[in-house]
Amino acid sequence: MATRRSTRHDGEQGVRFSRTLFIALLVLSCALIAFDRPQSRSDAFARFRAGFTDITAPVLELGAQPLRAIKNIGPYFRRQGELAEENARLRQQLIEARYWEDLAYRQRDRIEIYEDALNVDTQAIQDRIGAWTVADPRGPFVRARLIGRGAQSGIEDGYPVINLYGLVGRVYETGRRSARVLLLTDLNSRIPVMADRSNARAILVGDNSPFPRLEYVGRQPDIEPGDRIVSSGDDGILPRGLPVGEAIATRDGGWRVRLYSDQAPIDFVWVWPYRRVTPPDEEAGAGEASLLDPQEVGPATAAPGPDTPEDAGPDTQGGAEGTAAGTAGESEGGERPSGDGAGAAAAADPEEVP
Amino acid sequence: MRKPTDRSTVWLSALLCIFTVLLALVMQAAPTRLIDGISVMPTWPLMAIFLWSGLRPHFMPPIVVFAIGLTQDLLTGAPMGVWALSYLVAIAVCRFRGEDGMPRDLPPVLLRFGATLLLAHSIAFAAGSFALEQMADLQLLIIELAATMLMFPLLAFLALRNRRASRAGFIGG
Repeated sequence: MATRRSTRHDGEQGVRFSRTLFIALLVLSCALIAFDRPQSRSDAFARFRAGFTDITAPVLELGAQPLRAIKNIGPYFRRQGELAEENARLRQQLIEARYWEDLAYRQRDRIEIYEDALNVDTQAIQDRIGAWTVADPRGPFVRARLIGRGAQSGIEDGYPVINLYGLVGRVYETGRRSARVLLLTDLNSRIPVMADRSNARAILVGDNSPFPRLEYVGRQPDIEPGDRIVSSGDDGILPRGLPVGEAIATRDGGWRVRLYSDQAPIDFVWVWPYRRVTPPDEEAGAGEASLLDPQEVGPATAAPGPDTPEDAGPDTQGGAEGTAAGTAGESEGGERPSGDGAGAAAAADPEEVP
Repeated sequence: MRKPTDRSTVWLSALLCIFTVLLALVMQAAPTRLIDGISVMPTWPLMAIFLWSGLRPHFMPPIVVFAIGLTQDLLTGAPMGVWALSYLVAIAVCRFRGEDGMPRDLPPVLLRFGATLLLAHSIAFAAGSFALEQMADLQLLIIELAATMLMFPLLAFLALRNRRASRAGFIGG
């Protein structure tokens, strides 16, 4: 019995669970929950979060190193028996890839000629920013990854993130040396996509499951199981044609997407510093609008629309909803740059623009 | 007045407490999905908080529990305050009271931890759903809860064994 007696020091007896402090912390927690909601997060909170991840990123990077070292142990042992078969398949794919490589070079040359003719400057593939995943929390509230590059490397909110296989998500919280990537599977993720075969448009909606839903596909969508789903670029936030995944039909008649990016663990990713290419008619409209009285032009041209990359907040929902409306041809004046004001400006005589 | 050896063991256990809590937080955010097949993550910080609040209650005042929860929120990208609130309430309700603190037998500790875990995850689910303005992922929360409950006995056993081994308690406590 003697050993069961308390042997604590006098000064340590009892837990110092001060009631006042406890209540104060409860109130503070509730206030934080109320004010740090992803849908309405203020800039100050976003900056604080980004600053915190900047500080912790090196520690997390340190923790990720041993995991990175052992990441391929499982697949290595499993694939030993399939090596010969895989080798033959890869040789075949290499032969096919050479044809596509030639085609890609030809297309690149052609695009350069067109860009010169149209005087547009688009981001090249080589500008992608490579980054390692340093944290990958799989919590019930958010599906996001932390990468070890930030604003110092040229990363900004809204930039698409891809890996070797396809689109992973979008940057939504950028610190100086780190950035958080909202995955396509997250509850708040909304991405405009289309079927590569038929150009049938849809919105890819994350629901925390590994297979995000395809919504707004219409009553008789021209989508078939196995169709390649790519980003449609309708909102201007994402470039067109980024590979997303493969369409799969669900039992209830809906559609989901098996993501290409999930073919392998997301370890190394590229951030694509994509900026929207303004269509020539909008450029002309904006140029003329700047010459007109702002009060006559209206709010659509006086302020950039919500679907420009600069205005893309941490939440993709707002931009995506604008996209859904735009895709369906239901955009309202003042919501998009091509609204009433821009349309009126574009309708004016282009010869008046110096 | 304390002996110098007592003071040094207190410092040692304080350092161990800080180290284990930091390790738990880093593990919670670690990219374990990079390892093939592993994607379930137990709630390591809650285990650390619970064990230390039983073994060394003065190391886990409300402010520390709150800070650990808030750090987890920030590391995992969850809305701030969700885990801070749930840990704070769960530990306040289910912590061991009395002179002896945590019992030296495993079953009552497991039982108490089960209640703490359930309460913490229920609060986190409610608070997270409120913050997200839609239902949080209940399935993942349940998987996380089960993984934590499966992992905890090992850590509890190690902690209690150390505590039983010494008459002075856990690391001289």
